[in-house]
Amino acid sequence: MRPLLRILGLWRGRAGILAFGVLVSLAALAAGVGLMVASGGMVAGMLAGGVLAGSLLAAPLLLRLLGPARVVLRYLERLVTHDALFRALADLRVWFFRALATGSAGGLGFRRSGDVLARLVNDVEALDGVYLRVIVPLAGAVLLLPVLVVVIGRTSAWLAAVEAVLFGLAAFVLPALAARTAAASGGALAAAGADLRIACLDALQGMREVRVFAAEDRMRAAIARHEATLLTAQQAVARRSAWAGAAALLCAQAGVLAVLAAAPSAAAAVLLFLAVAAFEAVGGLPRAGVAAGQAVTAARRVLAAAQAKPAVAEPAQPASLPVGSALRFEGVHFAWAPGRPPVFDGLTLEVPQGSRVALLGPSGTGKSTLAALALKVVAPQAGRVLLGGTDIATLAAAELRGRIGWLAQATHLFDDTIRANLRLALPDADEPALWAALEAARLAEFVHGLPERLDTWVGEGGARLSGGQGRRLVLARALLSPAPVLILDEPCAGLDAQTERAFLATLNEVAEGRSVVLIAHRLTGVERLDRIWRLSNGRAVAAAG
Amino acid sequence: MDATKQAARDWLRREGVLGRRGARPMLALGLAGTLAGILQALCLATGLAALLAGRRVAWSLLLAVAVLAVLRAAGGLLSDRAAAAAGAAARRRLRGDALARLLGAGPALLRRRHSGDLAAIVVDRIEALDGYFARYLPAATLALAGPLLVVMAVAWRDPMGALILALCALLAPLAMALSGLGAAAASRRQFAALSHLQVRFLDRVRGIATIVMHGRMEDEARALGAAADELRRRTLRVLRVAFLSSAALDLAAALALVLLALRALGRGMAAPLALYELLLVAELFAPLRGFALAYQDRFAAQGAASALAGLPELPAVAVPLPVRTVAARGVAVAFDEVCFTYDPARGMALDRLSFRVPAGETLILAGPSGAGKSTVMELLLGFVRPDSGRVTLNGADMTTLVPQALARLTAWIGQRPVLFAGSLADNIRFARPDATEAEVAEAARAARLDAVAALLPDGLATQIGEGGFGLSGGQAQRVAIARAFLKNAPLLLLDEPTAHLDPATEAEVLDSLRRLTIGRTVILASHSAAAHAFGGRRLDLREGRAVPVRGVA
Repeated sequence: MRPLLRILGLWRGRAGILAFGVLVSLAALAAGVGLMVASGGMVAGMLAGGVLAGSLLAAPLLLRLLGPARVVLRYLERLVTHDALFRALADLRVWFFRALATGSAGGLGFRRSGDVLARLVNDVEALDGVYLRVIVPLAGAVLLLPVLVVVIGRTSAWLAAVEAVLFGLAAFVLPALAARTAAASGGALAAAGADLRIACLDALQGMREVRVFAAEDRMRAAIARHEATLLTAQQAVARRSAWAGAAALLCAQAGVLAVLAAAPSAAAAVLLFLAVAAFEAVGGLPRAGVAAGQAVTAARRVLAAAQAKPAVAEPAQPASLPVGSALRFEGVHFAWAPGRPPVFDGLTLEVPQGSRVALLGPSGTGKSTLAALALKVVAPQAGRVLLGGTDIATLAAAELRGRIGWLAQATHLFDDTIRANLRLALPDADEPALWAALEAARLAEFVHGLPERLDTWVGEGGARLSGGQGRRLVLARALLSPAPVLILDEPCAGLDAQTERAFLATLNEVAEGRSVVLIAHRLTGVERLDRIWRLSNGRAVAAAG
Repeated sequence: MDATKQAARDWLRREGVLGRRGARPMLALGLAGTLAGILQALCLATGLAALLAGRRVAWSLLLAVAVLAVLRAAGGLLSDRAAAAAGAAARRRLRGDALARLLGAGPALLRRRHSGDLAAIVVDRIEALDGYFARYLPAATLALAGPLLVVMAVAWRDPMGALILALCALLAPLAMALSGLGAAAASRRQFAALSHLQVRFLDRVRGIATIVMHGRMEDEARALGAAADELRRRTLRVLRVAFLSSAALDLAAALALVLLALRALGRGMAAPLALYELLLVAELFAPLRGFALAYQDRFAAQGAASALAGLPELPAVAVPLPVRTVAARGVAVAFDEVCFTYDPARGMALDRLSFRVPAGETLILAGPSGAGKSTVMELLLGFVRPDSGRVTLNGADMTTLVPQALARLTAWIGQRPVLFAGSLADNIRFARPDATEAEVAEAARAARLDAVAALLPDGLATQIGEGGFGLSGGQAQRVAIARAFLKNAPLLLLDEPTAHLDPATEAEVLDSLRRLTIGRTVILASHSAAAHAFGGRRLDLREGRAVPVRGVA
């Protein structure tokens, strides 16, 4: 139950409207029960032939009020509780994304995007029953139980006790039991749903490979396998739920039967109608218990995915950003894992403010790792990295990253417009700035020729652009970045020589006054550089400029 | 458009017939439940009347109520399980169908739609159909048969009372039709909102590092919040239909109660009969309520129908299509006046392109990005078909080849191979699942992947993440080369295989590729100078047309 409590804690911001939903539901319940009791009284009076003449006059008036009130309140209850809950779920999804992003500066790693998506969609959705079907009716049950005991107890203490036991069984004991066993049966359902989603995404995202290797049947078989697991898990839950529903029905019927067997004559109709109304109000709880048991797993999955901590801990009290932007590595030691050979072993390197530095070296010498260190995606095991003379370990990561623009080798193009993809680097960039960046990346002509120009949708991973166009869009984005330090990791990989030279020449102008770290295998001769470093054996060696 | 609508309608009709057949057990159990409810009402009315008259209730009556209660509970249990089974069976069948259609439509879909959007069809659309088969179809019939049964049970004793009940029950479909106006559109928008949220989230999560590095997490969280809020509003609008029809049913039920009570009072009816009628009001409305709750499932089914009907039907697998076996030794490729357009607004991607590659030779496609190099590849891979003109393999028109036959002939290495989460070996074996351990190792060696694997903790068994996490771009490209070695197909299509690699890695990858090309027909699209050292005839493309070659590389 602990994960559920944590989720409820996250809904604090919506406590007001959630509580209001409960209140409306209680009012609807009161109207409903009042209506049934009044009807019972009227029926009894009617059939007793005028013995209760007084209530015979009063009852229709009460009915006329309670009847419509019940209908209206029931409608409002549904509307308000659902609205409140959906707001809470939307909040939870945003919270989830934020928490996930905070821990994923280096990407998803071994986590599967389909699994994370399943948590955001299915697991969050599975939490809806906790409020709608458990908390709301439970509040009603808590209110109803004393009413039931007092009203019935006035005529027969024995009957009141029997009804209270049956009611408690239906409203509290059975749901708790159902929740416990459902939770104990494990998260088969949630895991199976996620696996199905992952398998479908694999087959569809990899449709080119699937077609080329004629893997359609294999993929379908894999999906069918995951689906079978899901269906089995669903059937298990459905079976539990069916039993819970049957048990609830039997409790309600036993409650009616007890009234019939033991109620004193005069009050029989009122008590019967009261029992029917009371059991109807809690009849869904045992089934809801099963759903709540599943919700525990769902809550656990949501929390687990959101709990990933950033690889580099944030300082408790971040220092304020320094004025300068000189970047300095001092005696940095770094290995990706304890057993693996170190990438850097006493690296010392300086990029003075406003200078242009090239960093050369073959594959695997850690050129990209250097950028990861500067951006606090990873932290050095020894030594330190300084920005403007301040150890970046003491700076807030988000602020630091505002100072350093990074064009990584695996930069993502988002399924959005060209404009939105560019503005990722500079949200308030105006039209001329966007075109200037496109011009610098030699893409402006192409975009001009598109019917929707900057509003052209680029597709998944830039699927509607050619490979070269996508790469140039990424370059344009890097150029838009206002950061005083730009780290460009093999910016021209995959571009033809002409575009490469043009881009590098543009870089000389647009980045005036900013520090540029150009990570490359070789130089073209177009670059205007202040210093060239060569990486080898985990250290940087100044090369002749 | 109209053809799609017609196809959707046909689909729904076909599924409705199948579904109703599957709904028979629920229907029978539901009717039995109503019958038990009528009998119970009879017992309760008799018992209550006795109580009110100051007598005790006969034990046989109590026993009857108890037995009926147990029967109802058992019936409900069985019906629930039958419904779950029916929903599962329908989903299994339809998911298979949807997936086959999507895979049949092929990679061309990915140009227009996000894979997350397509996955939402296979996963969420199909899951949403559960309600249609498990609840809506039985409830739709029960909503007619159940109330009819109750009305008849009253008519037997009091025809006038039965008429009142029948009239009140008739208000229900009317109210439902009124509240359901626009429900189909609301349901469509709700699914669109769900899809949008999923695609947005999936896309952002895949690029999460890029977002964090640009400090745009808060903006993206806000945008996601807007998408989530849109889903909330759309969902609420769909539910409002159900809430409104429930409220209408409540009103109709209240009306029935009041009318019957007033009538009983005015005519001084006998207590048991009056109570019997009053108790049956609940039984009358129970199936209608069930129908109102399931009403929205119908629109989910309609939405699924139009989503699935828009996809091409897969050719029946059972029919053996004549496979054109192209000569075993080498494949000759020819383009003959081929035109192709992705999007009319963006002009022709290929404009009457013709060329010929004899078996065993290499053709280098050169030209600036966007010149149509990748389009040539997509045509040869069968992802798209020419608008006009012919592409032939050994003289056979490609459109006559079934995808499986084509797949057997070709190996392809693209700009960014898709790697799946799993081991390196699994990823290589994707090319040929029946390959032995040794063959996989041999392919890895040929692609120079063994040197990479040697540095990894578990060699070829090392796990890699989705999208090749844990491997560099060059290493991922080597996995693709290893796949091609393992597949050993006569036609090799290389689409800028070194586009994202630095020059040193490019040289190494090209070295591996050169070995792969021996004895095969090769079409290589590249603007890299290094790749042009490959040897072979060169074709310069510009805006989808071949430009005269200045010299042979």
